[in-house]
Amino acid sequence: MTRAPRRSVAVTVVAAATAFELATSAGCAGRASARPSNDLLIVGYDREPDTLNRFSTHILEDIQTCIVEGLTTTDEQMRVVPLLATEVPTPENGGVRLRDDGGMDVVWKLRPGVKWHDDAPFTSADVKFTVDAINGPNYNPESTDGFDRISGVDTPDPLTAVVHYKEIYAPYDIQFIRGALPKHLLEGRDIDRAQDYNRNPLGTGPYRVAEWKSGEYILLERVAHYWQGDEYPKIRRLLFKFVANTNTRINQLKNGEVHVVALAPWDKYREMTAIPSVVVARTRGNAYEHVTLNERQFPPFADVRVRRALIAALDRELYARTILDGLAPVADGPIQPLSWAYTDRIARYRFDPAKARVLLDEAGWTPGPDGIRRREGRRLAFTLVTQAGYAIRESMAQAIERQLRDVGVDVTVDLKDGTALSAVWFEGRFDAMLHWWQMPSDPELTTFFAADRTPPAGRNINYFRDDELTRILYASDRTVDRATRKALLGRAQAIIADAVPEIPLYSVTRLDAVPAALAHFRGNPTNTGIFWNVHEWEIK
Amino acid sequence: MIRFVARRCLQSIPLLVVVSALVFVLIHAAPGGPLAVYLANPNVRPEDIERLRRALGLDRPLWQQYGAWLWAFVRGDWGYSFSDGRPVVVRIVERIPATLELVGASLSCAIVLAMPAGVLAAVRRGRWVDRLATLLSMAGISLPAFWFGLLLQLIFAVTLGWLPSSGRATPGGGDFADHLRHLLLPTAVLAIVLASGWSRYLRGSMIDILSLPFIVASRARGVPASRVVLRHALRNALGPLIAIVTVDAALLVSGAVVTESVFAWPGLGSLFTEALARRDYTVLMALLMLSSTAVVAFNVAADLVHALIDPRVTAS
Repeated sequence: MTRAPRRSVAVTVVAAATAFELATSAGCAGRASARPSNDLLIVGYDREPDTLNRFSTHILEDIQTCIVEGLTTTDEQMRVVPLLATEVPTPENGGVRLRDDGGMDVVWKLRPGVKWHDDAPFTSADVKFTVDAINGPNYNPESTDGFDRISGVDTPDPLTAVVHYKEIYAPYDIQFIRGALPKHLLEGRDIDRAQDYNRNPLGTGPYRVAEWKSGEYILLERVAHYWQGDEYPKIRRLLFKFVANTNTRINQLKNGEVHVVALAPWDKYREMTAIPSVVVARTRGNAYEHVTLNERQFPPFADVRVRRALIAALDRELYARTILDGLAPVADGPIQPLSWAYTDRIARYRFDPAKARVLLDEAGWTPGPDGIRRREGRRLAFTLVTQAGYAIRESMAQAIERQLRDVGVDVTVDLKDGTALSAVWFEGRFDAMLHWWQMPSDPELTTFFAADRTPPAGRNINYFRDDELTRILYASDRTVDRATRKALLGRAQAIIADAVPEIPLYSVTRLDAVPAALAHFRGNPTNTGIFWNVHEWEIK
Repeated sequence: MIRFVARRCLQSIPLLVVVSALVFVLIHAAPGGPLAVYLANPNVRPEDIERLRRALGLDRPLWQQYGAWLWAFVRGDWGYSFSDGRPVVVRIVERIPATLELVGASLSCAIVLAMPAGVLAAVRRGRWVDRLATLLSMAGISLPAFWFGLLLQLIFAVTLGWLPSSGRATPGGGDFADHLRHLLLPTAVLAIVLASGWSRYLRGSMIDILSLPFIVASRARGVPASRVVLRHALRNALGPLIAIVTVDAALLVSGAVVTESVFAWPGLGSLFTEALARRDYTVLMALLMLSSTAVVAFNVAADLVHALIDPRVTAS
């Protein structure tokens, strides 16, 4: 009665064992993992870029950075340094000239001998074409910020581009950090639909796209005769593998299927440091995690005593030691120590729950029967929204909820997915939000704190209003004198620290897992990413 | 049979239109949108957001957007992806081979596992074979796919180093054995999860049928046991299983979302995850319509297969 089923089981087992043997024996002969070498370095990436056109996206600039170079870039200290330009224009070197009509001219001197990957020369005509394309009606770049203040570009010779601004624009030095569009390839074309360029951009950088397999990887190969020297880049091929799942990415790092994990999650730090062939580079970042206090949505936040009470009730040093595992220092404001505009001459708030209670008492919020403070019948209760699926942030939200409850403030944590969160904050439909800003290398604060820059006009999602601060911030945007600007931004930081429009928590440290044998890795705290000097990287 | 298929296809058209309208409204009602990704970038100003909104046609009333999408869709114009600007058809077609590969392998393996497990458990009801099959199938049903996948990765990729942890092939190529190695782990996860459920259904059906009078009569007439089980009982027990297999297959065709994510498998499931995160409306609509169509088509196919296996059932 059971003979036939037994046979089928036996056949199944034999077939499965044969398939497994075939697969695993093949695996032993040639494992998917390979040691990092100067022939191939494999990077594990959390998602696939939508385009490699640097003007169409700000996401995952790492790959683009290897291909398309800017006139300037930012180094590991967040300094703006020349790349395709011979120098960074400044008032001192005559590269920036203020005009009587309130505008300014910036003279970009281009490096001679630089060629696009198709051997066409890189010239000032490409710079002018880029400005015209971005300001023109036929292309939809991600952002026109800064470009829309340009009235025109003159090209007196192939290596000089004179950019005329309608008004003084302080971050002019990073205007062309994303490079330029090749005029000879894109002129007269619909750039939004130019998939040959958008998926395989023509650049001047050390690498070009060899293959883009959707959903799987992008393979870059070195270009011959790179302008920085024929010996560069040292590594022949870079492979960017798209592995969305964090655990899988770390597993691949462990067994050598990937060699680099950029922007590694903090909760995996200890796991990664245990991998012998890997070092985890820690780069002090330019982003800061904070709690935004939306004064429009939750009016009690408009009282500075309440805001100061909230920051005093939170033991941020404890968070840094425990939740953050000592990886990130406490932040005291929006400008981080790496920036030239940073000042430490500002008010600092230590953990002092007794003081928090006194401040809340002074503000008229007295403890109710349930321990939560009340004023005029209203409970001091708000919702803290933050991103779901982000372990550190979820833990931080729980700690905040617990410590604020100790001083009589009721917090409800609301977790949302990243896309939903973006929509909520842009419309100002939240009480408080735990998130970070990745600040540009230029320390402009206007969009975050000027009174007239609340959504949709800007990113002042605290809905904070301080007329003196607004005046100072706009003044700082309208000067290119570094000393004057530093003084203005120093004063702005002091006002912000004093008024506590938001609760700064910690300065974000960037973690990148790289091979221990990798030489000349220098890291980078900005959106430029760690590959800004990839041509120097070498496996020793 | 042709009339039957034609009638079912015609019946499905209004259903698909209603589904498309519902899906369209639901997608647009989800918080965030295709432009949400830009909002976190301080350099993208409100003017840029409005410009991009107009460029994507999101400034029009929802009913106009739906009408334009439907009219274009039925003419074969599936539009362009909001995130990378490429034609939606291209984005979907390039992912189909990976999905078919994974689905085909998983379904085949699941059937190979489920059939003997279900039959044996029913024939040896209450004995150790039945208890073991029950234990394993309950474990398979209970294990979350993402956890099971990571567990297999840890064992076979990280600890033993026998298999790659993810991907479809070694970048730059890979021979048949390389493809097979990459296919093993995701297939194992899907096949074991599917087979666990299917074997329980088959066991239940077989037990019911083995107790029917015609089986008792067959045995009394001296028909060999294997013939009774495989030709009489199993054939009759396959009907419910076919219905379940086809529904599962239809869902898998539209993407094994979790498994593809864990194993970085470049199929439709991964595309769906990406499109959902970016609120890429055009890609999402196309994928969901593909999924709905697959469910309808597989149900028709199930009816036809059922009719072929069981002469009591006719396609008409």
